[in-house]
Amino acid sequence: MNNSNINSIIFCLMNKMRKTIEHINEKIRNGEVVVVRADEMPDIFDENPERAVREVDIVTTGTFGTMCSSGIFMNFGHSDPPIKMQKVWLNDVEAYTGIAAVDAYLGAAQLSEDKGFEYGGGHVIEDLVSGREINLRAISYGTDCYPRKKLNTTITIEDLNQAMMFNPRNSYQRYNAATNSTSEVIHTYMGTLLPGMRNVNFAGSGELNPLINDPDYRTIGLGTRIFLCGAQGYVAGEGTQHSPKTGFGTISVIGNLKEMDPEFLKAAVIQNYGTSLFVGIGIPIPILDEEIARNTAIRNEDIEVDILDYGVRRRDRPIIKRVKFEELLSGRIEINGRKVKTSPLSSIKKSIEIAEKLKELILEKEFFLSKCVENLPRDTEFKEMRMIERIPRVKDIMTRNVITAKEDDSIDFVSNLLVKNQIDQIPIVNNEGKLVGIITSWDITNAIARRRKRLRDIMTRNVIVSKPDEYIDVVARRLDKYNINATPVVDDKYNVIGIISTADLIRRDIEVGKR
Amino acid sequence: MNKYILRYSSDIVDSPIIATTVLETGILINILRAKVDYDEAELIITILGDDEDQKMVIESLRRKGVEVIRLGENIVNDDTRCVDCGACIALCPTNALSFNEEWKLVVDGEKCIICGACIRACPRRSLSLQDLQEI
Repeated sequence: MNNSNINSIIFCLMNKMRKTIEHINEKIRNGEVVVVRADEMPDIFDENPERAVREVDIVTTGTFGTMCSSGIFMNFGHSDPPIKMQKVWLNDVEAYTGIAAVDAYLGAAQLSEDKGFEYGGGHVIEDLVSGREINLRAISYGTDCYPRKKLNTTITIEDLNQAMMFNPRNSYQRYNAATNSTSEVIHTYMGTLLPGMRNVNFAGSGELNPLINDPDYRTIGLGTRIFLCGAQGYVAGEGTQHSPKTGFGTISVIGNLKEMDPEFLKAAVIQNYGTSLFVGIGIPIPILDEEIARNTAIRNEDIEVDILDYGVRRRDRPIIKRVKFEELLSGRIEINGRKVKTSPLSSIKKSIEIAEKLKELILEKEFFLSKCVENLPRDTEFKEMRMIERIPRVKDIMTRNVITAKEDDSIDFVSNLLVKNQIDQIPIVNNEGKLVGIITSWDITNAIARRRKRLRDIMTRNVIVSKPDEYIDVVARRLDKYNINATPVVDDKYNVIGIISTADLIRRDIEVGKR
Repeated sequence: MNKYILRYSSDIVDSPIIATTVLETGILINILRAKVDYDEAELIITILGDDEDQKMVIESLRRKGVEVIRLGENIVNDDTRCVDCGACIALCPTNALSFNEEWKLVVDGEKCIICGACIRACPRRSLSLQDLQEI
């Protein structure tokens, strides 16, 4: 036997050992495929890496969390006489119809016009998939080919010609956790955050997370077949805000809504924030070589999560602490020596169910792998918005000559100050000029009605304040939230250095109290 | 463990009702939650003792003009709606909400003090308060 013959035999053997997606699909067909869940893989791999690569064919992942950047394209068919929809509502939730006459896109985060936060696009999508009847309402300007101007009917998912889920951003590779250092409760897309960092909310399914199991996107990209809310969907490419260099990759996905299962798609209400949709996604990772296998062996204790301070209302929020996903899952972490409770916002139970379901589908020969046409890019940058206007800060527009009073001053004296200066509130300071309270004209009225004499008995001690470097939009939101007309501006030592009122903001054309 | 809501009005709000009741009956009362305002007060309590003790404390409170209502099963979770996301867990001040080993949400009504934080934060609107029972 000559050298070239030996080489070709070795090449053939190597080729046989090298796993491909075609080989794995063949094994699915023959009932020989070995599938394990992402949470089972770490132990299998650590025990014998070579054997894990050789024997495991597919690792299934799963996640089930609220993903606001989700929605559906629909075609309603034509009415008679026909209409070119200019605006359209499903159960009073507006969909975007700036495309062809009876096509529309409904986003999960769109709020209902009559129920507000309690019902939105996510709920319409869940109702459709559950087979419930939906009110469809549209208006138009009327054209020669589409004369109708108004439409009001009832539909179900069966009546739609097409209903395609297309989610521009799903399944974050990882996500930051959230806490709140301020002294007030805040309601965010990361849930309710108690004051003084009393809780931490986190998202994602850790070691079950699809993208974290293939962080170099070697098997994931346009055309990868996935489990999407119970149907077989596809990765449509990188998701919006895809940021691979920071480990925050995302995917956009597409799938047929008519094939979806309401068990894996659920509407969500995020308190005082809006509506969303729990989306269930599972991605099968083919184990083609040792590197891919090693990546799927990631454990919750290997995953680092930054806890950010959502009390800071800026784009870049400070990092309070870096912890492991495992610690977050334990229900308690430590911040500054104190035990703090944690809540996942994604369902770990459902995530496991999805990975398990995907495994079963493959074993039952109902789900085959696809080779992606183009892998997710690894060099996309997530850019910040280009801004051309300068947003004023509190110090730019606040009133600097603040009239203040002392705790020992009489109510008569303070009411005279209010009248003489034509103002509605007076910050109360101590002898060092530090803020201790505030008096409004309403407090004075109240004091007279209840026959109170001393300022310290009627002043509000828990004063809502602003800082000179805050953006005025943040202050506008604060005034709105607490239904007040002004806040004293204090420096870091709590000295009163100014006051900012709704009047100051209105002069700057900032909307206050729009809710 | 039975829990009761006590409500009373401005006329008696500044008298030491709970302390007096404890001294009179010799039975301990645990205050779970209290909201006392200038015109009314609402307390949630448990009474440490057997059925007879409970009755004695309730009668003593009622003699002082306090309205006493027994709480039912507290919060209930609709399993058909819940997705076990756990958004409610860290908000609960008394650890009445937790995961079991299978990551399923479980509610411990005994610990609940009816603060309502979980109900408002539930993205699935699956948590609700059971009706109060008049006794």
